Amino acid sequence: MTTTLQKPAELQQTVPPAGATRPKRLGQRAVGFFMALPPILLIALFVGFPIVLAFGFSIGLTGGLNHTIATIGQNVHEADAWWGTLAAYQEMFTNKRFLGDLLVTVIVTLVSTATVIFLALGIGLYLKLKGGRMARLLSGLAIVPLFIPVVIASWAILTFYSGTGFLRSVFALFGLDFPVWAFTMVTVIIGSVWTSLPFAVLMVSSGLQSVPNAMIEAARDAGAGSLRTIVSVIVPMAAVPIIIATTFTAIGIVGSFTVPYFTGPNSPNMLGVDMSNYFSAFNQPQQSAVMAFTVFLIASGIAALYVWANFRSAKEQGKV
Amino acid sequence: MAISTGSPIASRTRRPLTPDSIFRRVLVGLFVVLMVVFILGPLLWLGVRAFAGNWTYPNLLPDDWTLRWWQVVVNDGALGIAVQNSLFFAPLTVLVSAIICLPAAYAFARFDFPGRRFFLISLFATNAFPKMGLFVTLAALFYALNLMNTILGILVVHVLGTVVFMTWIPAAAFAAVPRNLEEAARDAGASKLRVFASVTLPMALPGIIVAAVMSFLASFDEAQGTYLVGAPAFMTMPTQMYSLVLNYPTQVAAVFSILLAIPSVALMLAAHKHILGGQLAEGFQIK
Repeated sequence: MTTTLQKPAELQQTVPPAGATRPKRLGQRAVGFFMALPPILLIALFVGFPIVLAFGFSIGLTGGLNHTIATIGQNVHEADAWWGTLAAYQEMFTNKRFLGDLLVTVIVTLVSTATVIFLALGIGLYLKLKGGRMARLLSGLAIVPLFIPVVIASWAILTFYSGTGFLRSVFALFGLDFPVWAFTMVTVIIGSVWTSLPFAVLMVSSGLQSVPNAMIEAARDAGAGSLRTIVSVIVPMAAVPIIIATTFTAIGIVGSFTVPYFTGPNSPNMLGVDMSNYFSAFNQPQQSAVMAFTVFLIASGIAALYVWANFRSAKEQGKV
Repeated sequence: MAISTGSPIASRTRRPLTPDSIFRRVLVGLFVVLMVVFILGPLLWLGVRAFAGNWTYPNLLPDDWTLRWWQVVVNDGALGIAVQNSLFFAPLTVLVSAIICLPAAYAFARFDFPGRRFFLISLFATNAFPKMGLFVTLAALFYALNLMNTILGILVVHVLGTVVFMTWIPAAAFAAVPRNLEEAARDAGASKLRVFASVTLPMALPGIIVAAVMSFLASFDEAQGTYLVGAPAFMTMPTQMYSLVLNYPTQVAAVFSILLAIPSVALMLAAHKHILGGQLAEGFQIK
């Protein structure tokens, strides 16, 4: 909805929305279908199919293509009924280590996502309502992490908050003792916020910018205060980009690996890290698959929100 | 480099300084300082380390400066191979991804075909599912297909990470090309191919460039999947970072970090206008 709002009305009428209008010949529809097919096939083969396969493996179906991994892996629960077994799920959901990981993953995702969206909204609103040098400086700063590979960022953040890090050094110069945040969940949250900020800021600011200034002025003329204008006019009008930013941030964090791997404690840590531990170090691929499907489940809940938000925006524009 | 797609609503006139407005300014100033420390602090702290000799805690600067660590990196064979591998996989990934995805992007923007919306959402599935979980499930298939520790296997992992960028962002860019412009060119007698080459493609190019840059970086920075599928046979720069951090002095990892960041920063700076101009944000809305 971002560009359509900015386009002048007469242009909008002559430009049909993507993939719509004009009577299509059957041939053209077929061409479109076959042009769109390659990436879909790639994803079906290397994402969809493995997910089905791994789900089968997680419920103990160890034949066919799962045979190799079932032979290599240890502690594999084999199916005892035609549909499989829930033994691996049972094992993991009574495993203290896994439950601790799950709790930590949910908490880190909630706290980091909330912080990221709060910061993105703050910066976006400041840019929209105030503007000026300070606002541009802030948004420019927030984009910097986009330029830095996550591996480096995680490591830089770890050293910054470590026992001999910057914060502790500064406090020590004043004779104060600052806590060591490295290898705790605090740095994992800091790292997650750091790496997720640019995308959220880009998405939220572009959504906020597309709210017509006339609407804001009208609300002010009607006597609404700043807070009221923000809560009842600006944020609802930019709801779709904000929801998209929230879902992508949350999905990115819930499955993150590099940040918690570098900066987090050994245990409990986020599921992404322990998933890889179970797979490589412990050689228990089935347990690892169970963890993967737990994260999938959380992520698909979040993803449903994203799809819903997009459909809502499409509906508002009369495209469905 | 700020995001500016519209003008701010505030008027340019300066308001008189009241205690309230001074308090607000101090608050904003404090927030900016905190953000500078939060965002740039870790990078500077790491950057200094690459040139540091001894460093006594809690001094804020090292005791002496040296270029010794750069020599260590240049002379280390394993690190050189990692650089080579990264520079091999990233361009190849962009090329393969472009061949697979760009026609699809055009189709999503210009044709209405059965299953279009379903296709768009299933592309999103690669992004919705956590990467590590995906790689763990992929590994089972790779064992069966003998793709573990192969170039093809790593290439598949890298291309998978770029599909969303290479489809969505160019699709939004193609969709934004006004149709009446294309039709005008057709009316003037240009062939379909000619119209595409001299009207549609140049106008959609910024979006395609952003997609290519994002894909290059996605491949260049990809660590988890490459590590799971390729290590130890094929180490790229990010996977080498994992072992560097454990096995080398911190200064060596710092030097390597700077080297690893150079392509990212250069490419991002080259394309930042388009990225901040909304090409990226536009691509992430299914239409």
